[in-house]
Amino acid sequence: MHKFVAIVGTNSDNSTNRKLLQFMQKHFAAQADIELVEIKGLPLFNKPENKQVPAAAQAIADKIDQADGVIISTPEYDHSAPAVLMNALEWLSYYIHPLADKPVMIIGASYGALGTSRAQEHLRQILDSPELRARIMPSSEFLLGHSLQAFDDDGNMIDQTKLAKLAGLFSDFETFVELTKKLNHANEANREEIHDLDWANL
Amino acid sequence: MKLVGIAGSVADKSYNRMLLKYIASHFSDQVDIELLDINDVPLFNQSDDQTNGDAVQYLNHKIMAADGVIIATPEHNHTITASLKSVIEWLSFNIHPLSGKPVMIVGASYYDQGSSRAQLNLRQILESPGVDAIVMPGNEFLLGDVKEAFDDNQNLKDDRTVSFLKETLTKFMKFVKVINTMNKPEDPGWEAEDLEAKGKVETTVEGVDMHAADWVEKAAEKTHAAEGDDYVKLDRGLLTVNQLNYFLNSMPIELTYADANNQFIYYNHFLEAKDMLASRTPGQAGNPMADCHPKRAIPHVKQVIHMLRSGQTDMFRLPVPGMGPDKYVMHYYKAMHDAQGEYKGINELVLDIMPMIQYYLKHTGQMLVKDPDADTDAVSGASTNVKPEKTDAVSGASSDAEPEKPTVDEVSGASADAEPAPKPTKPDVDEVSGASSNS
Ligand SMILES: Cc1cc2nc3c(=O)[nH]c(=O)nc-3n(C[C@H](O)[C@H](O)[C@H](O)COP(=O)(O)O)c2cc1C
Ligand SMILES: Cc1cc2nc3c(=O)[nH]c(=O)nc-3n(C[C@H](O)[C@H](O)[C@H](O)COP(=O)(O)O)c2cc1C
Repeated sequence: MHKFVAIVGTNSDNSTNRKLLQFMQKHFAAQADIELVEIKGLPLFNKPENKQVPAAAQAIADKIDQADGVIISTPEYDHSAPAVLMNALEWLSYYIHPLADKPVMIIGASYGALGTSRAQEHLRQILDSPELRARIMPSSEFLLGHSLQAFDDDGNMIDQTKLAKLAGLFSDFETFVELTKKLNHANEANREEIHDLDWANL
Repeated sequence: MKLVGIAGSVADKSYNRMLLKYIASHFSDQVDIELLDINDVPLFNQSDDQTNGDAVQYLNHKIMAADGVIIATPEHNHTITASLKSVIEWLSFNIHPLSGKPVMIVGASYYDQGSSRAQLNLRQILESPGVDAIVMPGNEFLLGDVKEAFDDNQNLKDDRTVSFLKETLTKFMKFVKVINTMNKPEDPGWEAEDLEAKGKVETTVEGVDMHAADWVEKAAEKTHAAEGDDYVKLDRGLLTVNQLNYFLNSMPIELTYADANNQFIYYNHFLEAKDMLASRTPGQAGNPMADCHPKRAIPHVKQVIHMLRSGQTDMFRLPVPGMGPDKYVMHYYKAMHDAQGEYKGINELVLDIMPMIQYYLKHTGQMLVKDPDADTDAVSGASTNVKPEKTDAVSGASSDAEPEKPTVDEVSGASADAEPAPKPTKPDVDEVSGASSNS
């Protein structure tokens, strides 16, 4: 069974993105082991000269290291990913590189109709940058619009068509994880390159 | 023009901050740029609203008061920093100080691509509806290889970079003007001009009766005004108040200052009222402009002031007849502005140009002849059909003379005026004297 880390892309207390991940955790329990990871509480990234990553960020990195893949559920703030998620990714690319070559599935929930389409695009671009180099599942998008109305009192997704799409994408992601394992010829080179990225000594 | 600058970094050392500091100091003779600190802004959290905290309110107030914003963005992971994004989130959550604000984006990065992706991202973020900033299109200023860009004094080394930066900043200053003009509330129209001067401008002396004959003395006391041998520093020179008076009172021109609040606050008092081309009495100084005009003339006075205040024209020319055939009296109403282009009132200049014409003719051996094609009396201009009257838009008294079918553009005096005069909104109305062909 695959083990996934699911990053809640917000520090908000009442997050529909958290709800979405909690729902997936429960709904796909027979298929995969999903652990929710919170990014709240990480200090604001300030490029410390001592190159030290805070313990909480290192803990997330360790979990990602242990996982077969990562699911990130992002809200949309100002047509882009929230600062708090960008902040976590800055720490996760500062002299540590847990996401390099890691399979990632991007999803998102928003109050409006568009369901984080622009935030997901933004997140894709971030994860594709040379310091992160994640393996983002291509040609797939799960947009949960009107997220405040999307779940019933038990936290189940109401819209069955949406659910079918999510289930399909989740199975695809599992396949993608397996596939990615085979896309390993450049892994070594990637790892070397990424460790050579030393901002301080450019 | 007042701009604020935000560097998108909370690191101890930031080249983007250095770049902004450089821009602020290097171009300080052209524009005032204040750098804003974002170090104390907490990471945005929707469930812990800190909009009213000091750090966010500081940015809120500074940005609201500024004409435009310059943002210098680093690039982290092909996007802007979380610290900058967090600031923008606070400024788009429950308050929206960036809404409608002109913004210029610059950026520095260690690589030769120099923050191009972050800048593109930032543009998109700033233009989202919650932020609603107005980002200057094009004109990307990317400072790549930034570790090599500055000398030991933190000045940019490359002259071409500096001149491109200057070009970009100059364009931005124009952009700021255009956007802020566009954002200005609808022009309230000339009717809104308050000739009673009930409003106030920063120089208005409060607590002194504007109608009082000794307004000058009272207001001088209240403001501890310089006088006599006190020195006044001027652009460009230094004079005592006495010298300033000798100087202004020896001008062969009657000068009147009406401030932006439509208060008549000064005239150069070198003649008695009866000897003046546009008569003023010492007791009038300080009066609201409404006191200086007959009721009937007021709409037209308002129209002229409004045209000057709103920038439709910078100078209004008006020949004022009635002083006899050997005089040609011109009233010039010139808008005054401060260095920022803010309207500061009207300089009214009144003079008889006939002596100059006579001088010119005599010394060049010429004479005046009538233009057979002219539809105006070249000598008296617009005045042919108007009964003699002494009228004066700013401060003078106007008699109630009614014109009978004026045949010319009464504002410019048509052919008598060599330079084209600005087109008045209603060409058949003498906007200043109140003489209307329709009434
Ligand atoms: C500062 C701010 C900006 C926002 N901007 C957007 C936006 O650009 N597009 C959008 O669909 N929703 C926007 N929203 C509303 C979001 O839909 C909603 O907050 C979020 O995506 C829901 O995620 P959550 O339930 O996990 O918190 C914004 C909310 C905040 C607080
Ligand atoms: C986590 C991290 C990610 C970075 N990613 C990028 C990048 O994607 N593109 C880039 O040009 N520079 C990147 N850099 C280096 C930047 O050039 C540099 O941090 C910054 O733009 C320089 O501006 P500053 O001195 O104002 O921070 C990154 C640096 C860090 C610490």
